[in-house]
Amino acid sequence: MKILIIEDDTTLRESMVQYLEHQGFVCEAVSDFKTGKEKVAEFVYDCIVVDIGLPYGSGLDIVKELKYMESKAGIIIVSAKNSLEDKLNGLDLGADDYLSKPFYLSELTARINAIIRRRTFSGSKAIKFNEIKLEPEARRVMVNDKPVELTDKEYQLLEYFIANQRRLLTKAAIAEHVWGDEYIHVSNYDFIYTHIKNVRKKLIDAGSGDYIKTAYGAGYRFTDT
Amino acid sequence: MKLLTKTTLYFLAAMVPLLAVAGFYLFNKFSKEINSRSDKELISEEYEWIKYLESETANGTSFILKSPDITIFPTDAAATPYATLTNIYGYNAQGEKIPFRQLSQVIAIGNIPYLITIRQSQEQKAALVTDVTRIMFFVFAGLFIATLIFNWAISKQLWAPFRRSLHKIRGAELQKMQAIYFEETSTQEFNELNTALNYMTGRIYRDFVNMKEFTENAAHEMQTPIAGAQSKLELLLQDANLKEEQVQAILQATDALNRLSKLNQSLLLLAKIENNQYETGEAVSFKAVSEKYLSLFDAFIKDKQIIIKTNFEEDFKTALHSLLADSLISNLLGNAIKYNYKGGTIEIKTNTNSFSISNTSMQPSIPKEKLFTRFNSANNSEEPSNGFGLAIVKKIVDTNNLHITYDATNGVHRFTILNVL
Repeated sequence: MKILIIEDDTTLRESMVQYLEHQGFVCEAVSDFKTGKEKVAEFVYDCIVVDIGLPYGSGLDIVKELKYMESKAGIIIVSAKNSLEDKLNGLDLGADDYLSKPFYLSELTARINAIIRRRTFSGSKAIKFNEIKLEPEARRVMVNDKPVELTDKEYQLLEYFIANQRRLLTKAAIAEHVWGDEYIHVSNYDFIYTHIKNVRKKLIDAGSGDYIKTAYGAGYRFTDT
Repeated sequence: MKLLTKTTLYFLAAMVPLLAVAGFYLFNKFSKEINSRSDKELISEEYEWIKYLESETANGTSFILKSPDITIFPTDAAATPYATLTNIYGYNAQGEKIPFRQLSQVIAIGNIPYLITIRQSQEQKAALVTDVTRIMFFVFAGLFIATLIFNWAISKQLWAPFRRSLHKIRGAELQKMQAIYFEETSTQEFNELNTALNYMTGRIYRDFVNMKEFTENAAHEMQTPIAGAQSKLELLLQDANLKEEQVQAILQATDALNRLSKLNQSLLLLAKIENNQYETGEAVSFKAVSEKYLSLFDAFIKDKQIIIKTNFEEDFKTALHSLLADSLISNLLGNAIKYNYKGGTIEIKTNTNSFSISNTSMQPSIPKEKLFTRFNSANNSEEPSNGFGLAIVKKIVDTNNLHITYDATNGVHRFTILNVL
């Protein structure tokens, strides 16, 4: 899977590349509008992560360009502006998703996975992790081909874990992914414990390995090692 | 003291010495007039007497006349070429002391020098002072009354544009500054004032817009470095060789960055609401939004075993941007859950003209003056809060023709939102 990252902030760009490469993606990263446009014209990517505010131009124009080229690539806009208009504007132009800064790298990974999966027309869209199989369209989970009943939130949790397998996910990142940032109005993120406990129990009961590991009380890691 | 009262007082104070001077001048003028008339009369009377004396004493007899007003008698003194006219005081028939004009001259008639003294009462002169004073007093009184009437009329007419401007200044709001315009008047001074005011409001508004834009840009620009720092921490966290304390330190730093970014977003939201960047949309159903958030927060409500009571028989609908409606309800419901205790109650009611949400809580009631101020988070709470929630709620309510009230009785806190009629 080939990803192009167009982001002018060096720190963030490098972090994205490092994290995504670790998750098995092949990444290319550029820092300005011109090179971004060149790359887009020359090569084929599965997903393009583009910042709106770039030197020499707007990321939105790259989205337009991609649509004009009838590119098959998924597009995620990342922007410093958390504004509804920008978001709607970007999505109207044909972007698949919109992330406002700051975001968790794990969230970005989950979104890229979701987009690539949605855009895959041939082959299976199922997500596999050893004996666990997720069918995102049906939102069905199978362990050794036997269905496991998960609630909506539990399904989202599991999908997020598998997209970011072997990485340490903080409670805050998990809470924000599953409940959105609205939960901040209500509670701290300790509530996710119950939900994770339930997923874990259901999976183990269905015969899966115990993959959800707590990490120093800092968060969780979904791993088979 | 009113400006007009002040000027009037100054004017009147200046009038007093002026009138006194005028009075004194008038008195002098009249007094001289009276004197010269008296003098003429005295001289012609003296002339008559001399003629009479000359004819009476032609046969060598001497003549003596003594009456209160005229004395004529022979004297030893030498004759004087001119008559002397002086002002003296004497007594009239009633024994009152009054001023007299007196002529005296020693004149030789048939070799005998006679002293002729004729005096004329100037009783009217005594009345003159009173008359002049009275006239001056009437002038003053007339002026006083006239000024009062003028003042009233002037203050009504002349100062009207000034009052209009003042009224506008009083009602001025920073965000609506560009809508204020001070019109041209027929008075030069007020025009100068209004021009200056127009210039000032224009400049204030421009500065305000600049500052607003700067704040917004700064807040936006801040998100990128925060994102950078957060991403580095997230990567750092993946290091398998970290010690527990190091992981905790990274987590704390992440949380701090998270709070910083959320604070930033809250500030931006507040700024945007203040700038009316959210146009009022179609009527929003508070029932629908409440139900949406009740289901969104379901996990937390269940977790705290909170009992929800709702009464949505009548819906409360008001024109509001959907995003603001969401923010309003999520903040209020969020607080109602956050500051509730396990097994507590939340009651939401809507009717055609109000929406109310109440919750049980161990928290003391919020003092009125702190209720909607920014950064006033419940300080004895362990729940994270940036203290912006209620400030945002208040801002939304204020900018959308709504009104919010708060009361707390017996550990039940209640917020009610009403339409401003």
